[in-house]
Amino acid sequence: MHCTLKYLIMRKNSTGQTTFRRDYMNIFRSWHNPLRWNVFRSDDRLFLILIAVIVGSCSGLAAVALNWSIVTLFDRLHSFRHYWWAFTLPAIGAALSSLFLEKIVKEGAGHGVPEVVYSVSRYGGLLRFRSSFSRIISSCLTIGSGGSAGPEAPVVMSGAAIGSNIASFFSLNDRQRITIVGCGAAGAISSIFNAPVAGLVFSIEVILGEWKAGNIVPIAIASVAGTEISRLLQGNNIAFAHHNFDISFFDIGACFGLAVFTAVVSIFLTRCLKIVRGVSGKIQIPLWLRAAAGGCAVGIIGIFLPVVLGEGYHSIGNMINGTFAKGILFVAIALLAKIFATSLTLGTGGSGGIFAPCLVIGSLAGLTYYRALAAIWPSLSWINEGCYALLGMAGLISGMLQAPLTGIFLIVEITGGYNVILPLLIVSSLSTTLCHYIEPASFYLKALVAKGQLLRPGTDARVLSDLSVIELLERDCLTVNQNMRLGEFINVIKKSKRNLFPVEDEKTGRFLGLINLDKIRSYIFNPGLYDAVFLWQIMDSDADKIFPDDDLAEVLNIMDRKHLFSIPVVANNKFIGMISKSTLLDKYRKELMVQTLD
Amino acid sequence: MKLTIYEVAKSLNLPINTIERWIRQGRIPIQKSSSVYIISEAVIKKWADSHNLSFSLSKKEANQDKNIVPENLMPAMQRGSVLYGIKGQTVEEVLKDATDNIQDSLIKNKEALFATLIERESLASTGIGNGVAIPHPRIPLSELRKNSAIITCFLEKPVEFGAVDNQPVFIMFILLSISVKTHLHLLSRLSFCVRNKLFIEFLKTSPAPDALYTKISDYEEELDRADNF
Repeated sequence: MHCTLKYLIMRKNSTGQTTFRRDYMNIFRSWHNPLRWNVFRSDDRLFLILIAVIVGSCSGLAAVALNWSIVTLFDRLHSFRHYWWAFTLPAIGAALSSLFLEKIVKEGAGHGVPEVVYSVSRYGGLLRFRSSFSRIISSCLTIGSGGSAGPEAPVVMSGAAIGSNIASFFSLNDRQRITIVGCGAAGAISSIFNAPVAGLVFSIEVILGEWKAGNIVPIAIASVAGTEISRLLQGNNIAFAHHNFDISFFDIGACFGLAVFTAVVSIFLTRCLKIVRGVSGKIQIPLWLRAAAGGCAVGIIGIFLPVVLGEGYHSIGNMINGTFAKGILFVAIALLAKIFATSLTLGTGGSGGIFAPCLVIGSLAGLTYYRALAAIWPSLSWINEGCYALLGMAGLISGMLQAPLTGIFLIVEITGGYNVILPLLIVSSLSTTLCHYIEPASFYLKALVAKGQLLRPGTDARVLSDLSVIELLERDCLTVNQNMRLGEFINVIKKSKRNLFPVEDEKTGRFLGLINLDKIRSYIFNPGLYDAVFLWQIMDSDADKIFPDDDLAEVLNIMDRKHLFSIPVVANNKFIGMISKSTLLDKYRKELMVQTLD
Repeated sequence: MKLTIYEVAKSLNLPINTIERWIRQGRIPIQKSSSVYIISEAVIKKWADSHNLSFSLSKKEANQDKNIVPENLMPAMQRGSVLYGIKGQTVEEVLKDATDNIQDSLIKNKEALFATLIERESLASTGIGNGVAIPHPRIPLSELRKNSAIITCFLEKPVEFGAVDNQPVFIMFILLSISVKTHLHLLSRLSFCVRNKLFIEFLKTSPAPDALYTKISDYEEELDRADNF
């Protein structure tokens, strides 16, 4: 809309009018570009904080809205749970959500965090406006109907998209927009868990991957805003408040075992998701039908074990308070069932995140571990099972997301106390390390790492992806044509500063090949050949060439493999310049300096 | 002073695409609003300084360096003048006679010049064949202030110079240049001329200065054509 506005103003200005009206118009024009205001021009930090408040509040609202609608839908559908056909509810929800994503908003399935990270590292955080609500609706359908998934990742995507669009509206540059996208994600997580520090840490650890003051300040403010919105609307509830734990020395020792156990469970969950995704990817049926089949399977599990359905916050509360159903076997089965249900929901194309299922699976894992311990050494006085459920959650979050700080701060905040911090640190860091051995990439970033698209700031991949072939082009090359004689070519050599000469077709200008002085040295000192040899005889007609849109990492690969120092760039069959390693080093260094110093 | 992003790109020695991308990514302190760039020279300078990037606005120095093209044969020969009937039986004698006859306005310290020429001659003969020798000092003369000079000396009778083809030398071009670069430039042009048999025949007639200059300028034109090919 503001595009038309701009056009209108520009046209009016060009026709000429009174000073008063022009001033008025200028004020009007600059209102959506406040960086031109003198207050903000000198330093954008203040301005970013202001935007962070807006974005944090908006994404906080989105989180509250999603939470509320999931709970409402889940409660409404609860009355149908006793009918025989209740198992089809998750199927209907998953199918609708898949149809909505595929046909209406035309976005891929999945939880959205990789998309946000990809956009942050590749496109300066640009996200589509529709992303700010699409995942909310689809995940509400999936989870509200009983699918085993979490609302956090979708709300992170929404928050990030809201941030991105607000940043674009105020015509911020990429660096600022990325920070604001981080603000959106932080606001969403802060709001949904009522956990500001976890939101801040998650946003920086997972989404941005860059600990810089310039990021931290606005994101912290956004976290505060998001949390405050959630507290205003839902009250200041600590999600899983508990009694004080009195942690003994034995418990600390037992934590090492728990860390190993949660790491094993994380890897099992990752593998299950992968297998289900692989199998469902091979079945040639429409996406919505696939999602429906997964939902159906979850529904059937849900008949026997209702604990697997939905986001599962209620059962987490029970586990922490120690009121969860008794029996070690039951908990172990519930653990497996929840893992399968989550794999089936997410693997078949249901929409939702891994966060909440991780918390449920983690607390079930902690509970299983505790009950096994108590069965083996009944004489020792272990602290209650709630504590182990908590630690299990931290272990699983850290293992799955490979973000230990997020796990630690989240658990501390959602349980409202620091008294479990020691075992928490052990479980989180150990679980992350162990999982990293077997699954080097975290759940969120696995797809990106596989495609080589995880470009964290300040890394080699990021610098190479930012530089383009065009920026490195050297245009001081003399071209020659194929019908030139060696004698004439000698005169060209005299004037050239380089030892590579691209050969062009004299009529069409097509790039035909390359002459490398090193390879023809024996001919050029032989005057007898000057009139006898034409350039098409001595040129290398299948020389390696690259195109302006080629990826620089790929270009470097070619150069390394073939031991080249320069390579010609060809666009539309025409030679446009050379790329050389020496220029690349120069530009690469400048780029690195500009990217890393701030 | 108002800067354009083209000037910024030039000062940083970077392509314009990079600057535009940096602005888009917010890495360089230049704001863009609609299509106007807001650039402050002081801010850019400070930024470049803190990022270890060289930022220099002066473009004139770079141009000056490029414009210096060593001068051609003609003016150098005219400056050096032509000497006829240089006497002597040996290399030393002809060089001595030639240096003594050089105009005082060009070189005052004749002994020093003679010494350096002999010094160079003792390393290897400057007789390049076809009866031509190009004696020159080993290092550029400090006495020459601004311009190089070529003194053309027709010998009274050919002298055994120890030339590459063992032919006696009948003409010497004493090449005095202000820099090694000019020296090589003049030497390459001169050797282009004396490789030509017709030119040698022409020189054997001991032509008058004006006829010689005309011939030289013809050859130089030919050379320029080949260079600009």
